[in-house]
Amino acid sequence: MKRQPYRSMPPENAVGRRDFLKAGGAIGAGLVLTGRSLLAAQQAQGQQPPAKPAGPPPKPKTNIEDALKVPKTKWSLPGPFPGRVVEVHDPAAMPEGKVDAAVVKAMFEKGIRGLTGKSLEKSFGLFFTKSDVVGLKVNPVGPGLISTRLELVDAVIDWLTSCGLPRRNVIIWDRFDYMLKDAGFTPERYPGVGIEGLQTMDEAAAIAASEGKAADNSKWLNADGTHVSVPNFDQEVFYWADVEGPKDLPYLNQHVFNGKFSYFGKLLTKKLTKIVNLPVFKNTGNAISMATKNIGYGAVCNTNRLHQPLFLDVCVEVPAFWPVRDKMVLNVTDGLRSQYDGGPDKNAKFAYIDNRLYFASDPFALDMVCHTRIVAKRKEMGVAVNENPRFTNYLRYAETLGLGVADPAKIAHVKV
Amino acid sequence: MSRSDGRRERGRRGRRFAPAAPAVILAAALAAAAAGQTARPSAPIPDPGFAPGWAASGPPRTFTGQDLFNQIDGGAELFLEFGFFRLRLQAYAKGGAELTLNAYEMESAQAALGVYLMKKGRETPFPEIAARNSSEEVQATVLKGRYFIQVDNLGEVPASKAELAALANMFLAGVADEPAPSPLDLLPAAGRVAGSERLIRGPFGLQPYITLGEGDILSLGGRVFGALAEYRVPGGVAFTRLIVPYPGPEAAAAALARLRAGLDPYLKVTAERPEGFDFIDFQARKGSVALSGPNLDLRFNVTD
Repeated sequence: MKRQPYRSMPPENAVGRRDFLKAGGAIGAGLVLTGRSLLAAQQAQGQQPPAKPAGPPPKPKTNIEDALKVPKTKWSLPGPFPGRVVEVHDPAAMPEGKVDAAVVKAMFEKGIRGLTGKSLEKSFGLFFTKSDVVGLKVNPVGPGLISTRLELVDAVIDWLTSCGLPRRNVIIWDRFDYMLKDAGFTPERYPGVGIEGLQTMDEAAAIAASEGKAADNSKWLNADGTHVSVPNFDQEVFYWADVEGPKDLPYLNQHVFNGKFSYFGKLLTKKLTKIVNLPVFKNTGNAISMATKNIGYGAVCNTNRLHQPLFLDVCVEVPAFWPVRDKMVLNVTDGLRSQYDGGPDKNAKFAYIDNRLYFASDPFALDMVCHTRIVAKRKEMGVAVNENPRFTNYLRYAETLGLGVADPAKIAHVKV
Repeated sequence: MSRSDGRRERGRRGRRFAPAAPAVILAAALAAAAAGQTARPSAPIPDPGFAPGWAASGPPRTFTGQDLFNQIDGGAELFLEFGFFRLRLQAYAKGGAELTLNAYEMESAQAALGVYLMKKGRETPFPEIAARNSSEEVQATVLKGRYFIQVDNLGEVPASKAELAALANMFLAGVADEPAPSPLDLLPAAGRVAGSERLIRGPFGLQPYITLGEGDILSLGGRVFGALAEYRVPGGVAFTRLIVPYPGPEAAAAALARLRAGLDPYLKVTAERPEGFDFIDFQARKGSVALSGPNLDLRFNVTD
């Protein structure tokens, strides 16, 4: 497969976290700098910002070629319905801001039938077998406002189990265990269903470190200096990028590893046989943070280092690896309550009840449809939006890799 | 390194760039704010006595500097760009109701204003809250001094508006009022769309409006705040205007040269002048850049 030289969205901030830490290393171990402080540090050392831009910084090298070498399977992206996106709207889904579970369940079932053109039971067979172990990748950020609705997860579980999948073969998962709990994904709420964070993070230690206090790292840091969640990641399966992770302990606490490797969770490589991706309809800056970002930044560790130099590329290149490409068979974007600005964190000023769910086996077509919709919503609400193609180039990049469809002319956006 | 070391770095920066009149004011204010921040204790997190029946829910959480990524992974850049110092969170509960105070301590009042303008949306204030705010039942967004504050009301049962306001006000009582000198006054009033004003301190803030080039293409350097607003003028012409006050004419000229040299490939130059240039964007909308003393005056997204 030919690939064009590409970068989806060059970094627009000249000073990245990596640079902060490099500068920190130059003027004092353990120094944590903001961008402004870095500038001050440069000045203190007699340096001045460059007089002229050096041109677009080259995209850091990655091991995307390794991903492409692995032969595809019958389950591989873009799945059985490339370029097909089904949108279900029911104004009764969120009366007075509260979810009507029965309506959401009906919307879900309508969406599945609309996507496949088949009954729920036959649709199940297009994506799963009864022996599969199915991971539901939720987005727990912004609980109470814009995290994945519990009732949508209920609808997915009901469908899977009604078609013969044992309840114990369903696992709700995300990167962080504490975020799942905060968002209501608890064993009490979902009896018999697995709930797994790929990693833990000791917030108390993070807080102490950030306050300059002596941190008790014993709950997350082993005596040999490794994170207790290291065994949760598969060091044989990784996304490599020529970008070092910061070496400070708070970063390690949050990211488990801090080198150039972002390992896939063993949950994905060893346990799950299928994945259903359940992102939320929201923005991140001028771009979107939906299907491809939910999985791209959710499936691997050591991701903060990637935001700056590879931001949207990660949304393509991580899903190109077999643990996602060959297992993520279905995506349902939760647009019951959506957010068109102020994301990816919750921001009530820009959140609105939209009563929609979006279905696709092809996450890139899905994101293109949702990107178009969020642009329209921002315009409708008088919020600035930059339609520079660089913010969707990553979706076209995915199309060149054969992972999905990004050309609007080839996308079938069906409203049912 | 202690936090106070960080404050000193910022103070040093403020003193270094202050040759031109507006910049003198800005830099002096920044330096004063930074210096004051070193000496002044942070506003206290309220105890649960802000309203009857409330109790703290969990310990307070603090995120300093880059640790903000731990709280809003993917959303921290804007805060860091404007000059972020520390976020403190405290949740409170009463039965099924929960209120969470998110107190973002910025490096200056101007930095806090910059974030607030980006986050406020259409400004809908609760008069019960004793500071500038833009609020909904589920979240209050508040500005005072160097604090950008959000109070979330996202429990299973909503807290009352009075309880939300009481929490906000108890925190605000400990926050000092500080002037927020800004270049917004540089924006002409005629045709300016009320509520569209923004501060720009780097590429993340500018991102929703236009991509002018890579990185710090406007040479803001973390030192200079630009002022932006939407305009609609008689005849139906609409455009976005950004005025950036540099420390002096030389710095502005250098910024112009840098911008011209690194202009985004999606922008095509249609006319060149010694003091600027015109361009069209990928949607054939016009734009211009003009040097005016210590300022760069940019107009873009021009629609007839």
